[in-house]
Amino acid sequence: MDQVVTAGIVEDHPVVIEGITSWISADPEHRIQVVLVAHDLMALEPVTGPVADVLILDLELNGQLVTAQLPRLVAAGNRIVAFSAHSGPGLVREVLDGGAYAYVAKDEGRGYLVEAVLAAAADRPCVTRSQAKAFLGDDGPERPSLSNQERQALLLWFQGMSKASVGRRMSITENTVRQYIDRARMKYAALGRPALSKDALLARAIEDGIITPREVATYTSQASRPA
Amino acid sequence: MRAAPSPAAPPPDAPAPGTRSAAAPVQAAPVQAAPVQAAPVQAALVPAALVPAGPSSPGPSTAQPSAVLSARYAQSFDVAVVVVVAGWHIAGAGSELLPYRSLYRSFPAQFALWLVIALAITAGAMRLIRGRSHPAWSYALAAVALAVTIAGAAGCPAGQLLKTDWAWGTAGWLGLLVLLRRPLGELVGFLLLNGLATFAVLAHDGLHRADVAGFITILAETTAIQLVVAVAARQMGATAREAAEVTQSEAAAREDALIAERLRAARQARWLALQETAGPLLRELAAGSADPADPEVRRACAVEAARLRRLMAESDDAPGPLVHELHACADVAERRGVAVDIETVGALPSVPADVRRVITDTAIAILTTAVSQVRLTLTALPGGIAVSLVADSPLPPPQPAAALGVVIEHDRDRRSLWVEARWTR
Repeated sequence: MDQVVTAGIVEDHPVVIEGITSWISADPEHRIQVVLVAHDLMALEPVTGPVADVLILDLELNGQLVTAQLPRLVAAGNRIVAFSAHSGPGLVREVLDGGAYAYVAKDEGRGYLVEAVLAAAADRPCVTRSQAKAFLGDDGPERPSLSNQERQALLLWFQGMSKASVGRRMSITENTVRQYIDRARMKYAALGRPALSKDALLARAIEDGIITPREVATYTSQASRPA
Repeated sequence: MRAAPSPAAPPPDAPAPGTRSAAAPVQAAPVQAAPVQAAPVQAALVPAALVPAGPSSPGPSTAQPSAVLSARYAQSFDVAVVVVVAGWHIAGAGSELLPYRSLYRSFPAQFALWLVIALAITAGAMRLIRGRSHPAWSYALAAVALAVTIAGAAGCPAGQLLKTDWAWGTAGWLGLLVLLRRPLGELVGFLLLNGLATFAVLAHDGLHRADVAGFITILAETTAIQLVVAVAARQMGATAREAAEVTQSEAAAREDALIAERLRAARQARWLALQETAGPLLRELAAGSADPADPEVRRACAVEAARLRRLMAESDDAPGPLVHELHACADVAERRGVAVDIETVGALPSVPADVRRVITDTAIAILTTAVSQVRLTLTALPGGIAVSLVADSPLPPPQPAAALGVVIEHDRDRRSLWVEARWTR
């Protein structure tokens, strides 16, 4: 890793803060450095612009959901990784629509939080199992249409298989599995309310060859089509 | 394999095999258990299954509220009373009024009084048929009746009151009509007042012995008939209520018998299910032929424990029976210290009981061999469901027979075992 990623933690429970910092310090390559710990969003107010590369945000601070503030934080240039005890599919989709890079449920924190922060710092997606669940369970009228392969990869991933096993089962490489899953994520990034983070995700996905600019246009036009 | 279940005696509340067929026509069993009773019907509330097919099926099987039934009887009787009262007023009172019209002090006044009674009867009849029973109206109409009795009697020619008076009798009938739903004492009081009023006018004109005898005769005749009708009305009402209650309790008894029969059938089915596997295992353990130290025996015990929990869960009337039963199966693994994570996606379809059995059997096989972790997911698919388990289970996956449209697949990597049971309608 060329450069250390800086991270801020907004979390009201000291135990959880300790947990997050211990996961970060357990990273053998020490790729993340915590530069800010705040107990509420007020701590971010006097600062103009992002204080860290990535903000790990607990969605429930002092008993209140802060999802409504998410778009404002994203517009201020923060890269947000949502971290929450909740894992309701509706909430997950709302948070992603608000511009969060990833959604990590607290029980998947150990496995995915570090990965999600690193991915967000690079403007890349990280699809956790709770995100896969939210995509699979989406029956809203505005939902993007996923291909059968994308849906099958998401399903097996959600069920708990490793990506290597998903690949073996679907007779494709692990990389292709990642690509299918990330493409599903990109379809959601191309939908809904516009956000800096979504543009950055899509731009990087095009650069990485996960999707083509034409596809982004297609998703967007489908999304903006009246229901 | 273990020996076939020996024909041990069924529990005392289980009927002999031949009697089970009594429950067969009943479709939606409240308790679903056995492979022998494989109706693909979701658990339904018992009374719903007993509601007759259409509204056009009357008769005793219709569990009709007794109030409705007795109200129907009572109303027909009310109509009969109205017909009698109106008939008397037109034919009885009219046939006295018209022939003697030249004798009255003022015929138009008498006719006006007759019309007042006719109007009062109409009002009273409408109130009776519509079931209105505000006492103020009843008393007001009764007062009108008394007033007409006095006015009518006073307008009769002196000395000929008993011959020409039409008002007394018809006012009595009006009183009966408006006081039919009131306590009987009120009607008796009214009829006495009505008679006294006539007698007062009679006395005012000057009494003769013949008048008194005639008065008593008429009083006895009319009042007796009116009282008989009132008593009959009460009797009819009581009989109707009784009949309705009998009908109701018969329906309730039939319902109770059906429920009891179904519960017995479900219990029998559960007992049979246990006989297949848990019974032999327990017998082997008791006989010492199965060694509790043997991991295979311990696994078999865990499987049976999970099945027992499932049997109990099957008889719960939970909204999502499959999730509920899988939770019950997971419970046994959790007691062994295995962390079980259950996730559901989408609106899960309702799955028939026998299909649920196949799916939960698959889950039990994995849950009982997992070392420390199981992730169990239920995903709604178009027209079906996928139930999967990923577990750190060291054993090769068992090969459960795919049946009833359930397709079971598995996959293993270094660390974990993945099994999916997929069912489509």
